[in-house]
Amino acid sequence: MFILKNAWISIKRNKGRNILIGIIILIIACACTITLAIKNTAVDLIDSYKNAYDKEVTISFDRSNMMKDFDPSQSEGRENAREKFDNIASYTISDVLSFADSEYIESYYYTYGVGLNGNNIEKAEIESNNNMPNGFGHGKENNISSTDFTLTGYSSLDAMSEFINGTYTMNEITENAWDIAFDGNYVFINQELADYNNLNLNDKIVLEDEEGNTYEFEIIGIFKENEEGNGEPMSMFSNSANTLVTNASAVTSITTSNEDLQATINPTFIIDSYDNVEKLQDEFYEKGLDENFVLQTNEEIALSGVSSIENINSFATTFLVITLIIGGIVLFVINMINIRERKYEIGVLRTIGISKVKLTMQFVSELVIVSVVALVLGAGIGAVSSKGVSNSLLESEINSSNERTEEIGKNFGGPNGNEGMPDRGNRDEMRGKGMPVVQAYDSIDAVVDMKVLLELLGIGLSLVLVSSIASMVSIQRFSPLTILKERS
Amino acid sequence: MADKEKNNYVSKDKLGKNFTHKKQIVKNNEVKDNKEMKEKNTSSKDIILSIKNASYRYSDAEENDYALRNVSFDFESGKIYAIRGRSGTGKTTLLSLISGLERCTEGEIIFDGKSLKDRNLDKYRNSDIGIVFQSYNLLPFMTASENIILSMDANGLKLKNKKEKAIELMEKVGLKETYADRKVLRLSGGEQQRVAIARSLSYNPKMIIADEPTGNLDKQTETEILEIFEKLAHEEKKCVIIVTHSQNVCDAVDVIYDLKKVAK
Ligand SMILES: Nc1ncnc2c1ncn2[C@@H]1O[C@H](COP(=O)(O)OP(=O)(O)OP(=O)(O)O)[C@@H](O)[C@H]1O
Ligand SMILES: [Mg+2]
Repeated sequence: MFILKNAWISIKRNKGRNILIGIIILIIACACTITLAIKNTAVDLIDSYKNAYDKEVTISFDRSNMMKDFDPSQSEGRENAREKFDNIASYTISDVLSFADSEYIESYYYTYGVGLNGNNIEKAEIESNNNMPNGFGHGKENNISSTDFTLTGYSSLDAMSEFINGTYTMNEITENAWDIAFDGNYVFINQELADYNNLNLNDKIVLEDEEGNTYEFEIIGIFKENEEGNGEPMSMFSNSANTLVTNASAVTSITTSNEDLQATINPTFIIDSYDNVEKLQDEFYEKGLDENFVLQTNEEIALSGVSSIENINSFATTFLVITLIIGGIVLFVINMINIRERKYEIGVLRTIGISKVKLTMQFVSELVIVSVVALVLGAGIGAVSSKGVSNSLLESEINSSNERTEEIGKNFGGPNGNEGMPDRGNRDEMRGKGMPVVQAYDSIDAVVDMKVLLELLGIGLSLVLVSSIASMVSIQRFSPLTILKERS
Repeated sequence: MADKEKNNYVSKDKLGKNFTHKKQIVKNNEVKDNKEMKEKNTSSKDIILSIKNASYRYSDAEENDYALRNVSFDFESGKIYAIRGRSGTGKTTLLSLISGLERCTEGEIIFDGKSLKDRNLDKYRNSDIGIVFQSYNLLPFMTASENIILSMDANGLKLKNKKEKAIELMEKVGLKETYADRKVLRLSGGEQQRVAIARSLSYNPKMIIADEPTGNLDKQTETEILEIFEKLAHEEKKCVIIVTHSQNVCDAVDVIYDLKKVAK
């Protein structure tokens, strides 16, 4: 193809200019590769951060709604409020099961709590202390507070939010604890309660309800509560001292055998999208949820960690756009000068019958040949340096994600971070094995992959083409005769 | 004009030594007057190019400021023509119409039975006609042979050894083979014009159009170049059209067309 041959001759002839164009494109390509690598890494981080959190919905009591109807300064109003408060219909486990049967809900878990008294153990307390134990739900505190212990059953690992968020950490645990924890009468107890009653792993404790039915549980783990200023200031015991952690089915079997027992259920629903919360709430009301309850999501928490990454991401975008604009303008100017200087050549080529299309193709090929070479070189240089640049920019984010994973492992009783935890991997598979799995970031390296290269090639070539549009248009408009006359 | 001999217009003595003496001189406005007679003649003639009532106004010129007005000329194969006229009468403009670099504002030009309006003008320029300019219009950064080969490429000529053919063409216009690899800027004006002629011949067009091809050359060189054109017309039966001021050229051609300034 003689067009390509001509293009090649022209490139060699205009060495200086083409080297200049090449260097500009090389710099742009280099900058783009680095920014694209940073952006890709940031997006990956954000994704994995978002995936680390399920989209959770919980039911909570809408206090503000309650309060606005009453004037608390009037004793009459306070009475009304209390009465009204007591009359709010709570929800039961069967309500929760019916709520969960919704197209918006992917899965759910719950804690199921019931108040019981000790049979062979004593409540950890100081005589004068009138503390209420850690309460569940809303409006039912009175019932539970009359018993010694709160037996909290978790439906799955995901439900054990106190362990995930670090409120509780496991001190001691039997070897097979996680294999049996969700099936049968096993409990994790607070270190304080263990000390108070001199209890050890594998000891059996017996609880009883008000009718005298007894229930035996084996201790498979001892945890402690990490006080962060939340504990009652007057108490020497933490809130959870008298909380016994077991599984939901153990609690269910107790409540079914004694229907008079007041149980509290705290469900968490995993939804597919935060957008559907409103619809879900309406659906819940239709299914009988009291309108004093509202749905709350964990969206804010889930997104709180990504803001710094998002800042880096948007900075990278701005940088990319500015680079492209400046580069585009410079290329545009060079192209215009190029065309002006080569008017005579264009005139001659047109008079000997080379069509506008072919001539345009020749000029574009010249640019494309130069820019592809420069793009490849620039991408290479950018790839080599991008790893260092973006990894150091995103270093703290990557580290904190890894630390977080280790931390959760420790909370669940892993001796050395991940050792007690399964590797981060297929979450569902792990869940199936009953192992505690909480996913955090994958370890991410900012790398220039095929995606970055293709993006770069696309960006680069469109930049070249856009910046040469004006010169291409002027080729179409040149009248060869005028050009040749100018010359003579 | 005193030496205008309309009857000789139909002379078949094209190859005769004395053809220059039977030369026909036509003014553009007079051709129109003798239209009937002319048309009778054309039917029996080998007309390759016919300009019919062509007018041209530059796009940036004023409403009535025509560079050319109602020009009608016919050109036959095997003849050499001169287009003559004072400066500014539109000779170059006419050539740019004939060579398809511009399109007529009014009227039309018919080449080989088909109007230029219906032709792909790029194809027309790179295969049907060859153009030679006063200022040669070669690409200075290329060698003589590269310039010629470029024109073959534009034509799409399929040829194994284009360079050989280029050298052959250069020899035909009186250039030694040793010039083939020289950058054109290192050739003299006359040599450059020969390269330009060789270039215009590279795809063997039916018609050669030259705008003051000898304007920058001395008389001796002019004569030599004219001989090339005469040969092309009389031996290779091409139609050669030369725009010129030179009496020397007018003496050598078969037909002279006079262009008069457009009345404003
Ligand atoms: N690009 C243009 N735009 C407007 N008018 C033009 C243009 N080129 C030429 N003209 C006008 O058209 C007329 C004819 O110009 P042209 O170049 O054809 O003359 P010419 O006969 O070749 O003269 P010369 O013998 O000096 O070369 C002139 O009056 C000129 O001013
Ligand atoms: Mg002229």
